[in-house]
Amino acid sequence: MSNSKIPDLHTTNGPCDGEPVREMHPEETFARLQAQTRRHFLRSLTAGVGTMFLGTLASQYGSSARAAELNLDGTRRLDFTRDPSRPLAALPPQFAARAKRIIYLHMAGAPSQLELFEYKPELTKLDGQDCPASFLLGKRFAFISGVPKLLGSQYPFHQAGKSGQWISDRLPHLEKHIDDLCIIKSMRTDQFNHAPAQLLVQTGNARLGYPSFGSWVIYGLGTENQNLPGFIVLLSGGKSPDGGKQLWGSGFLPSVYQGVQCRSHGEPVLYLQNPRGVSRSLRRSELDTIDKINQQTYAAFGNPETITRISQYEMAFRMQMDATDAMDIHKEPAAVLTNYGSKPGESSFANNCLVARRLAERGVRFIQLYHWGWDSHGSNAKEALNLGFADRCREVDQPIAALLADLKQRGMLEDTLVVWGGEFGRTSMRENRFGQVMQFVGRDHNPGAFTIWMAGGGIKPGTTYGETDAMGYEIVKDAVEIRDLHATMLYVLGFDYHKLNYSFQGLEQKLTSVKPARVVAEVLA
Amino acid sequence: MTFSLRQMSIRTRFGLLALAPLLLLVTLLLFLPPDGVERAEWAQFIGRFHLLSIHFPIALILLVPVLEIAGRIRRFPDLRASVDFLLALATFSAIVALTLGWCLARSGGYSGSLVTQHMWGGIFVAALSWLCWMLHGRFLGQRLDFIYAFGLVVAVGLVSWTGYRGGQLSQGENHLTEHMPTVLRDWLRLPQEDKGPTAAASTSFFTICVEPVFAGHCNSCHGPSKQRSRLRLDSYEAVMRGGKHGVIVKAGNPQGSELFHRVTLPAGDDKFMPAEGKRPLSADEVKLLELWIAAGASPSLAADAIKGAPTNAVSTVADVTFEEIDTAAVEKRRAPLASAVAQLQKRFPDVLEYESRGSADLVVNVSLMGAKFGDKDMAALKPLAEQIVVADFSDTAITDGSAAFIAVMKRLRVLRLMHTQVTDTTLHMLGDLNQLESLNVFGTAVTPGALQVAARWPKLQHLYTGETKIPADVQVSEAVRGKLVF
Repeated sequence: MSNSKIPDLHTTNGPCDGEPVREMHPEETFARLQAQTRRHFLRSLTAGVGTMFLGTLASQYGSSARAAELNLDGTRRLDFTRDPSRPLAALPPQFAARAKRIIYLHMAGAPSQLELFEYKPELTKLDGQDCPASFLLGKRFAFISGVPKLLGSQYPFHQAGKSGQWISDRLPHLEKHIDDLCIIKSMRTDQFNHAPAQLLVQTGNARLGYPSFGSWVIYGLGTENQNLPGFIVLLSGGKSPDGGKQLWGSGFLPSVYQGVQCRSHGEPVLYLQNPRGVSRSLRRSELDTIDKINQQTYAAFGNPETITRISQYEMAFRMQMDATDAMDIHKEPAAVLTNYGSKPGESSFANNCLVARRLAERGVRFIQLYHWGWDSHGSNAKEALNLGFADRCREVDQPIAALLADLKQRGMLEDTLVVWGGEFGRTSMRENRFGQVMQFVGRDHNPGAFTIWMAGGGIKPGTTYGETDAMGYEIVKDAVEIRDLHATMLYVLGFDYHKLNYSFQGLEQKLTSVKPARVVAEVLA
Repeated sequence: MTFSLRQMSIRTRFGLLALAPLLLLVTLLLFLPPDGVERAEWAQFIGRFHLLSIHFPIALILLVPVLEIAGRIRRFPDLRASVDFLLALATFSAIVALTLGWCLARSGGYSGSLVTQHMWGGIFVAALSWLCWMLHGRFLGQRLDFIYAFGLVVAVGLVSWTGYRGGQLSQGENHLTEHMPTVLRDWLRLPQEDKGPTAAASTSFFTICVEPVFAGHCNSCHGPSKQRSRLRLDSYEAVMRGGKHGVIVKAGNPQGSELFHRVTLPAGDDKFMPAEGKRPLSADEVKLLELWIAAGASPSLAADAIKGAPTNAVSTVADVTFEEIDTAAVEKRRAPLASAVAQLQKRFPDVLEYESRGSADLVVNVSLMGAKFGDKDMAALKPLAEQIVVADFSDTAITDGSAAFIAVMKRLRVLRLMHTQVTDTTLHMLGDLNQLESLNVFGTAVTPGALQVAARWPKLQHLYTGETKIPADVQVSEAVRGKLVF
């Protein structure tokens, strides 16, 4: 390994607040100076007047170097700087964390809450009636036009577990874990199309260019296993989510924090393996030569990105062994494969759930699964609530239950946060595309209310939070915005959402964006 | 008659000099009145010195009539000679105090009639002081001398009134009468509103329904530790006293009460409460406030006297608040072991870390090292044993030989020994870990015999015994039974 060749930058391993910053290369000093804006100048100017009156203030605001360590609200900034050769080095959370990793199960296309968790007998009674005018007033729909009919749930509901939470008959395996789930029925978004809504859920912003949740998390916490990426993305369902690769992009954060998409069959990461005719030792000597050139480049220009590049080459080299091993579910006993319903070799949600557990065991910080195909409009059999939707439920039900069981058995549910949800909800009305009765039963997009669940570290098990009206159409109690969910998840990971920030374009950018968020204390254990 | 600056007395020249800032202050007051907006920190900082400096001109102005009267007694004829100087000093110090006062009022978020009255009172006091100074001794024995005396009397009255208003601003509206004895209160025919600290009965609507709303949403900023806008909502008296914008509850009139108004504004409004993105009041909680105010905002009205009040409206979950990390204190706590920690971090990268940025406790996770970590490496952790609160030795090569090293980690909350060679022997040696909450022996050769020790861990919540020699239907006490996870 060539770590020894990397220049010693006097870095301490575990930075905490206020620790002296290592000596900076001129290039880096320049970057820091560029980050000093007119705001900083004006702020220290006004503060300067204050210092004329009270000398003690000087120690707090005295120099502009100190000002850079403060947030604009005057609180101390958390220091996320690392040795450039170890950009993913683990950092302690701001305060003691309840969970150290996240497994996020995103059901791309937005599953219908009214067929899974939202028991609405009133709606079933009114099935087939015209929907009230108040439901349509000022609303925009993707496809509904004219006056649609109300649509009762397509599946029977019952109460389950000691907690007595309602669930439909579509999730018989997950039902066994219902006392571990915290079901939030009052999620709300302001986006009614898939791509922006997915971006909002995953990046805190409906527009492109913002870091994803996983990127923020590994920027803040790093990762414990330097032989695997800290943020891994697995896809299933036959199509990529509408939001595209931006969903795991790093936005304005350094690119080392972006998610790495892995495949659950074939080569886990494309082009990771050596091409035919290239042995591991040949690859080693090739990397050594590239390192040498990069060292020269660093000596000449001093850009820390060069050091980061060297370390990325090294990580890829180590990943050739470890990633392949982590992804190889052939090694699991037959009983485990049966539990998950996974068949090694194919690309399925079941396989991805099993891989997720293996990655979690190997210290991967953020594991993101997307399962496509929940967009149940009713425009064809695959999108029908009574056909394709039922298949989707079957595809995810058993693997999720097996994943929860495995985590629980291994004591990992204690410090793993599992999140399940889509990007918005579905309407209480039957979709009538072009104003006509459609052949299949489906529902349109409803950003006004949807259901997600969380389980694991720091989350109160066996609870339901929030409430919608009798039709399941609008929230009547305890609305949770996407930013509130993000703030809550960051809290579980040990962060004040204000403090996990990054200076970009003159703002202290953060996952929850600029609107005030709140940590939903009611769902915390 | 020709006027020339040179012919004027020193007093007149200084008098004219004092007139300029006085007029400037009047202009400031007219065009930049206090408007309830908080402004620059430093202006508030300077402004706070108003409260300090204001006592100087007050004392001087009150001293003038004392000297004038005492000076007429034959024993102290010299006293009156200093009156002129005193008045000059009073005028200038009043101007300084006024300037500071304006800084405070303009930047400190003040508004309303109380502060306006106080400020104009202050201006007139300064003006009167200036007038008395100019008139003093100039018209001895003439009719104008009467005006001087009259001016002095008015100045004293005005100082008292303005001072009282200022006291109300900083101490609350009833700061003088708050603790007045009942007898005196009756005699003065003051209302008996104030019943002391026990005003709110423990079975009252206020105590049972209203106070918890404040406790859940408001008291973090309007309570014992912080008093934003000088408002406290942690007792009946404090609620009724109001803050620096005046009274916030008008009995019988919810719509006219600032308290109700603020919590019912649209959520995006700048004046909406609770501010800063804190959890808003629920519809039921707002309803409780409305009913309580409409029913007369009484401290003693029984809890069941208001019909139709929502029950169980108040959430028992407190808002999450974030504390600033005291960096110096953290460094101090970490100092004794810092070098040992750094050494170990160098030897085993990504294995040892502080539990958080605000903590000196340590978290150890060697599971990723796998078989490369064994019993012989455990000794390295010994110097830090008492700081370790979470330890994960899963998948490593450790055996019962490590038990002694783990046993000294007295503060362990979480211990993971998944897929290791440890046996019952290790568990029996860990009986004294009385902080243990979670123990994981998944995939080890541990047998039911080890379960006796589980009763010795008072805080234990989970014992992960899957894939061990312990069967799922093992016979153990009910207390242990509920903690086993298979």
